[in-house]
Amino acid sequence: MKKFLSLVLALAMMVSVCAFANAEGFNGEIKVWVAEAVVDFTNQQVEAFKAAHPEYAGFIVTVQAVGEGDAASNMITDVEGGADIFGFAQDQLARLVAAGALEVVEEENAKVVEAENDAGSVAAVKMGDVMYAYPMTSDNGYFLYYDKSVVTDPSDLDKILADCEKAGKSFYMEINSGWYQTAFFFGAGCSLTYDTDAEGNLVAMNCDYASENGVKALKSMIKLAKSPAFVNGSSASNATNLGAIVDGTWDSNAVKEMLGDNFAAAKLPVVDGYQLGGFGGFKMLGVKPQVDENKLAACDALAAFLTSGEVQLARYNAVQWGPSNLAAQQDESVKANEALAALAAQLAFTMPQGQYPGEYWSLATALGDDIIADKLDNASDEELLSTLTNFQTTAGTYVK
Amino acid sequence: MTDLDYLKLSKAAKIGYDFLSFLKRIPMGIVRGVQKLFRSIWHIICLFGANVKDVVMTFVNGDWKTRISFLVMGFGNCARGQWLRGILFFLFQTVFNLYMFNFGMPYLAKFSTLGDIPTTKKGRVTVYGDNSFFILLYGILTIFFILAFIYTWRVNVRQNKLGQKYIKEGKRLQTGKEDLQSMADEQFHKTLLALPTLGIFTFTVLPIIFMILVAFTNFDYEHQPPSKLFTWVGWDNFHTLLSTGGANYGDTFRQVLFWTLVWAFFATFLNYFMGMLVAIMINKKGIKFKKVWRTILVMTIAIPQFVSLLYVSKMFAADGLINGTLMRWKWISEPIPFWTNAHWARFTVILINLWIGIPYLMLIATGILMNIPADLYESARMDGANAIQMYMKITLPYMLFVTGPYLLTSFIGNINNFNVIFLLTQGKPLSMELAGNAGYTDLLITWLYKMTVSDTNYKIAAVIGILVFIITVIINLVVYNLMPSVKNEEDFQ
Repeated sequence: MKKFLSLVLALAMMVSVCAFANAEGFNGEIKVWVAEAVVDFTNQQVEAFKAAHPEYAGFIVTVQAVGEGDAASNMITDVEGGADIFGFAQDQLARLVAAGALEVVEEENAKVVEAENDAGSVAAVKMGDVMYAYPMTSDNGYFLYYDKSVVTDPSDLDKILADCEKAGKSFYMEINSGWYQTAFFFGAGCSLTYDTDAEGNLVAMNCDYASENGVKALKSMIKLAKSPAFVNGSSASNATNLGAIVDGTWDSNAVKEMLGDNFAAAKLPVVDGYQLGGFGGFKMLGVKPQVDENKLAACDALAAFLTSGEVQLARYNAVQWGPSNLAAQQDESVKANEALAALAAQLAFTMPQGQYPGEYWSLATALGDDIIADKLDNASDEELLSTLTNFQTTAGTYVK
Repeated sequence: MTDLDYLKLSKAAKIGYDFLSFLKRIPMGIVRGVQKLFRSIWHIICLFGANVKDVVMTFVNGDWKTRISFLVMGFGNCARGQWLRGILFFLFQTVFNLYMFNFGMPYLAKFSTLGDIPTTKKGRVTVYGDNSFFILLYGILTIFFILAFIYTWRVNVRQNKLGQKYIKEGKRLQTGKEDLQSMADEQFHKTLLALPTLGIFTFTVLPIIFMILVAFTNFDYEHQPPSKLFTWVGWDNFHTLLSTGGANYGDTFRQVLFWTLVWAFFATFLNYFMGMLVAIMINKKGIKFKKVWRTILVMTIAIPQFVSLLYVSKMFAADGLINGTLMRWKWISEPIPFWTNAHWARFTVILINLWIGIPYLMLIATGILMNIPADLYESARMDGANAIQMYMKITLPYMLFVTGPYLLTSFIGNINNFNVIFLLTQGKPLSMELAGNAGYTDLLITWLYKMTVSDTNYKIAAVIGILVFIITVIINLVVYNLMPSVKNEEDFQ
């Protein structure tokens, strides 16, 4: 009986703790999650924000280092415990909206965002016609880094591979990733997009992978995977034998360190007569749904401030994140960056990355793994077409 | 067949006979199990009936103190001078009532639907509706609380009956002080176990029941509290996981289960025999620097797997040390697909697991081998047995006898060997032929992990969890009962 009494008391205690934890003060705390590289920078900008907006000075802002991928996952797992403002890459947007982890951008702010940022980034923060986040960068694309002493002509994939094979170096491209894979499919003239409604639900898929162009793209990938110089990967810091790599701006320092004076960057090469394309990508800041009106206003203002043109430019100067703000993009310091210049050249051939369901990325990895595992090496055109038809049908089943 | 006939059989025939008789015993075993089940159900019904009868009789034969105690718990104890017990009963009842009316009832009332008020927007401010997650969690908690209350109420009734009886017989009732003293004396086990029991209930039993129930809901990324509701769907998730065709996971589940069992088999028995072999080799007379060899092998244990496995997985990559070296030596013209080809990847994880597992087995085997009486070998040698015969007749039976339970646990452990697989391959390579983000080296446990962490597919993950439990239980029961350590318990004593 005493055992039960202690059990009861402990339960009662647990329950009351749970009940009180839900209550929130008026002048609360705003929790911000950003990538580790910009924690210091964000802290400085928060101080600037408080100086500019004394009406929100009562809120205590805490900035924590949570990587973009983790931030989205953590938010989805526990919306109530997650950050009020958090940075993430746009491939997570649909998931976050579906999980109810994003508040719609306030109307006035949305107009400003629409007017001041490049078209791709504005498209990326929207679901249907509703804007769910503030664009922060426009540098989430990929292009080619190469070793000048190895690669003589970076404009042709066959020549790059031949050069790498000759020098005993490797060519890195993560073709089993749904992100990098589109370089081939989109380049060959295919497309794969999903339409979403304002709730974040997928309503339609537009895909023509199962076509002549799709087979062409698939064949180029199979040919690439057969080359002894090919290595599946996109992380420069994990590369041990780098001749050339398809990678993004975030790795430019790592590649520079590795290649030294031989460092060079260019747009993606041409293969089998077509220019490789791909995704243009963006990072953004989101505000989670709030139950307190004052706090929501403070969050809106802070998120708008942290993604404004001046702060984007300051962020570029501090950590080299390429801005999505049109005025900031025109700044001399941004234009002088080699990697960003290569990305800008590549962006002409890319599609702004829209919304994709989580399953798409696994499906693309599955296709890529099959290519790398040589399962399709001796397949006839019909067999390749049926593989792509299978891919397309499966991708279509994610629409409910 | 008599014992004599059995002994005349050849070795293979004996094994065949054993196996056949095991198969023959299965139907009988099932029948007996079902009988046992019905008997226990009947037993429970009888017990319940007896309790009800006792409660009714207590009320009928009870005095007014007893009868009031049916409504106000602890009244009888207080009226008979057992203040401490009475107050504790009464406190429990009060806490229970407060809990039920303020907290438990609203959750329990929605338990059958897991909530029906959706989240709404008032202007730009969010007003959260029902939270299915908390309804499920606190609903379970409330049900347990009610069970605990019924039990305590029953204890309360029995206390009254006993109190009444003792007073009638002229015995003295225990005072509060004596109660407290007995908690440190003859009731000391209860005092000690109160906290652990509470801990096990909150941190083990409650989550397990919660997870089992999740398998019967549609809790996934599209039904994520607090913004979205989830609800009961019955056996749908089991159907999705086990049946084939369409968007169902049946084929993939079978593939993953097959590989899980193959992996567990090789990871257990290859390690076991190779470890034993290494131990025998090092133990052999005439081998020099025994300690050096052992130290070298044990080094792999000293380095955390998180470090060593991630490093080794890089070593086997297409641009890793091994492929790079082989290509530089011109032994191969293109990288060996250690991680990208399904068969190679499976082979490589088993191979690398040998490297990790052999040292452990070597240590265990070394200890046991030194324990085998040397005179057994001596007499065997006198009888003219060769090394292989001695191994088959002395070493192996002894090892199997001693390490049988270890083999079983390590087999079960390997079914759930998350570390090695996840740190080496994360389940890759994936394939278009597999559904649900599963890969060719995925074990059930790593698949489950990917489902919860990256795909937010809790419902299917919960089903997999239940199935893993069922599989390990079946293997455990069958193998344990066949083991020499259990069957011939006295062989080596």
